[in-house]
Amino acid sequence: MKYKDYYAILGVERGASEDDIKKAYRKLARKYHPDVSKEKNAEEKFKEVAEAYETLKDPEKRAAYEQLGRYRAGEEFRPPPGWGEQFRGGAAGGEGRFEDFVDLADLFEQMGMRNARGRAGARGFSMPGQDYEVTANISLEDAARGTELQLELNAVEPQPDGTVKRVPTTTRVRVPKGVSDGQRLRVPGKGAPGVGGGPAGDLYLDIKLAPHRLFKPVGHDLYLDVPIAPWEAVLGQEIEVPTLGGRVKVQVRPGSRAGQKLRLTGKGLPTPKGGHGDLYCVLSIVTPSVLSDREKALYEELAKVSNFDPRGHLQ
Amino acid sequence: MTDLQILDAETTVALEELAAASGLAPREVLELVEYGAFEVSGEGPGYRFRAQTIVQARRVARLRDDFELAPPAMSLVLALLERIEALERRILEAECGSPR
Repeated sequence: MKYKDYYAILGVERGASEDDIKKAYRKLARKYHPDVSKEKNAEEKFKEVAEAYETLKDPEKRAAYEQLGRYRAGEEFRPPPGWGEQFRGGAAGGEGRFEDFVDLADLFEQMGMRNARGRAGARGFSMPGQDYEVTANISLEDAARGTELQLELNAVEPQPDGTVKRVPTTTRVRVPKGVSDGQRLRVPGKGAPGVGGGPAGDLYLDIKLAPHRLFKPVGHDLYLDVPIAPWEAVLGQEIEVPTLGGRVKVQVRPGSRAGQKLRLTGKGLPTPKGGHGDLYCVLSIVTPSVLSDREKALYEELAKVSNFDPRGHLQ
Repeated sequence: MTDLQILDAETTVALEELAAASGLAPREVLELVEYGAFEVSGEGPGYRFRAQTIVQARRVARLRDDFELAPPAMSLVLALLERIEALERRILEAECGSPR
């Protein structure tokens, strides 16, 4: 088992008061809480901070943690002899099978569960299973047509004797067509099993659409950058653009400007109820970087004969 | 193979299901309705909510647990976070709608 220095994670001294520990936690929670933070790796950092606080705020858990001894963060260690009997209350038969615990957090989670069981009395104790939250990265095409996902979960399974075990499990789910970026999905009962007859937790999926080469999704609408030549903007032109369902023809009107949006109704992502978002073609006017002599001559001719003053409003 | 429930504005859930899925007590949910944090859906008998409220309720329950917030503060934080997200969506739309 790898040692975690909970005091260092919270940035407090080993002898810190409960109040100092709470203050340090609140400060770090404000910085890294995934619901409010934009920091990089906020979720990972917050889990560390929350785990440290869960242990150090509870006098019994803190005493048990102190008794583990002092090690460097990340150093392999084993709890001292007798630690299991003293702090795990024989929940695992007093055997102290530490190899079952891959993580310090599991050890203290088990202690919390045992304490709750003790408070409720062995007969009346039940609690719902833990919910799982998973980010599912899917392509735009898969969001449009629906897809099947195979999720590898490191499930926490409470054992009848009050211990917890981590068990790798695979869950297959069918994502219906029409999901959008940031959409949340729920699979009731597919979280961890409950304890003492408590209901199983749920599985939550957070959909993230992988960046697409051409289309940018906003909800169920799609945006596509469409470059056009200056003469196409001035004279108008029928052009072809890609959509999720294949190429379609679009009419660029004479006198089009950069930034103008052409809406293709119903060519966006499908919605769950059978509708469709729209596709917006955003026009940009691009100029050739290399001109032939003939092209250059024509531009020079145009410059001579044109009365157009693009900066007239700046006079 | 398991089908998923999309947490959107189309499906609705009962008060008890919302509370169980979020970890909020039913009385906290109703208090948050009073403060305008959650909107009750018009359909069906009893209190019903759009399924997307589960996402809000789970978030607010996490904030309650991690910052020890009372319902009025939960409601305020939720409103501010949702305002930020709406503005972020508008920025994204504006960026997508501008030529490169």
